[in-house]
Amino acid sequence: MSLSNLTRPWEAFSYGFLDASAKREMRRKMLKAIAVPGCQMPYASREVPIARGWGTGGLQVTLTLIKPSSSIKVIDQGADDGVNAASIRRFIARVSGAAETMDTLEASILQSRHRIPEEKLRDDQILVLQVPNPEPLRPVEPNMSAAREMHADADYSRLWLTLYEQIVRSGRIMQGAAYPALVNGRHVMTPSPIPRWDVPKLHMARHLTFLSAGREKRLFAVPPFTRVEPLVFSDVPYKVEDHASLTCDRSGVKGYFMNEIPKDDGTSAHELSDSQFGVKAIRRNEGETVAIGDTWYKNGTFTQ
Amino acid sequence: MTIQSPKTHPDLVVPVRNLSEARANATYEALMWALARPGEIRSLPGSDPFALAETLVDRECRVFACDASLSERIAATGAYLTPAAEADHAFLALDTPDGLAALRDVPTGSHLYPDEGATVFAPADIGSGRGLRLSGPGIEGAVEIWIGGIPDEVWAIRSARCEYPIGFELFLIDGDRVLGLPRSATIEVL
Repeated sequence: MSLSNLTRPWEAFSYGFLDASAKREMRRKMLKAIAVPGCQMPYASREVPIARGWGTGGLQVTLTLIKPSSSIKVIDQGADDGVNAASIRRFIARVSGAAETMDTLEASILQSRHRIPEEKLRDDQILVLQVPNPEPLRPVEPNMSAAREMHADADYSRLWLTLYEQIVRSGRIMQGAAYPALVNGRHVMTPSPIPRWDVPKLHMARHLTFLSAGREKRLFAVPPFTRVEPLVFSDVPYKVEDHASLTCDRSGVKGYFMNEIPKDDGTSAHELSDSQFGVKAIRRNEGETVAIGDTWYKNGTFTQ
Repeated sequence: MTIQSPKTHPDLVVPVRNLSEARANATYEALMWALARPGEIRSLPGSDPFALAETLVDRECRVFACDASLSERIAATGAYLTPAAEADHAFLALDTPDGLAALRDVPTGSHLYPDEGATVFAPADIGSGRGLRLSGPGIEGAVEIWIGGIPDEVWAIRSARCEYPIGFELFLIDGDRVLGLPRSATIEVL
């Protein structure tokens, strides 16, 4: 062993920003995450040039997977053109030479904060969800070591109790986003704060999903064709948001997840949360030929 | 929608990958999809088993390899060479008694820390030999594969030691082809 075979030739910077050892650690943990779906795997979480809590977990997964032929789409709460989404997308493209896109159909890696696109994802696509709080048990068990034991014992009774209490108090389940779901019949995960509308899109899906929390230093995965079942009581069925009858004010599209826009007169208008899906619908309305993919929801009803 | 590409931006250089980064990225992509879709055969960029170690292993890892020359190359990455019982990555020759003994020894993690289960790589013949029916996450319904070149005992050891969520991941390598068997997969020997 000599210095010359321990060192590498000088380079201005590492491809894809992360250094080789950071990528190897991510790869090892991502493999384990795939092997035990929904189980949180700890990782070191390196520094990246955005603040922790702003997508560093998702960014590290994306930077590990990225290659020059990748096509990257970044979503922030449904939109591609928010400051956070645009900055992350441009950063990834600059350090990797990968193509930027806003079209769900063109993307090979989709990094997203809190939405899954309305168009179905394919076998070869990877969805990377940014996760603020990876621990579904945190509201009922703040002690991390105790929560780990509860996962080991598959002891999720306190989560069921929380849902029961919500029904007793309010007559319905109040959990809006980050609805806990049982993965592969064993581990309960939080699907990150995606709306209830999006959770069924993970169940027996064709694409691979990584969920990564950079601040909390944990990542987990949902491989293709994996059961993701929201926790529900057999006599209280799972309900998604009541958006099936809403029409988008700008594109005229109906039956998808909408943002509510308050109006001066006290009423509200709605527009598509998946902004690029709306853009494509508007273009098609204007007579352009636009490829719009098959959608998970049809006329407001989920179809597998 | 077209966005101005950084490649055409006058002030920016195009990032260039070095050879080992490109090889590790392609190797990992094959391993990742092989594990995410058990039974599906993926192509590795080459057939040198050291590329697998280069992709995953460094001085943070404990490695066991049956092959002495591969051990030596892996040691040069800074990884600790350990007995199979302590290894987080194992490169085994399952057609030898030593390889089978090592498979009985590799760590399987615990219910508290399932990630401590080992990742095992072994050469095998993919596409001929013993028929196996796989089901579980990553598989639409069930899929049948044929694996030769390794004794049937491998499947008995695996089913005894992989009790979900504890267990090990097994990658079978045939030249530049790879097949992944995560602990979540149920294997029925036909």
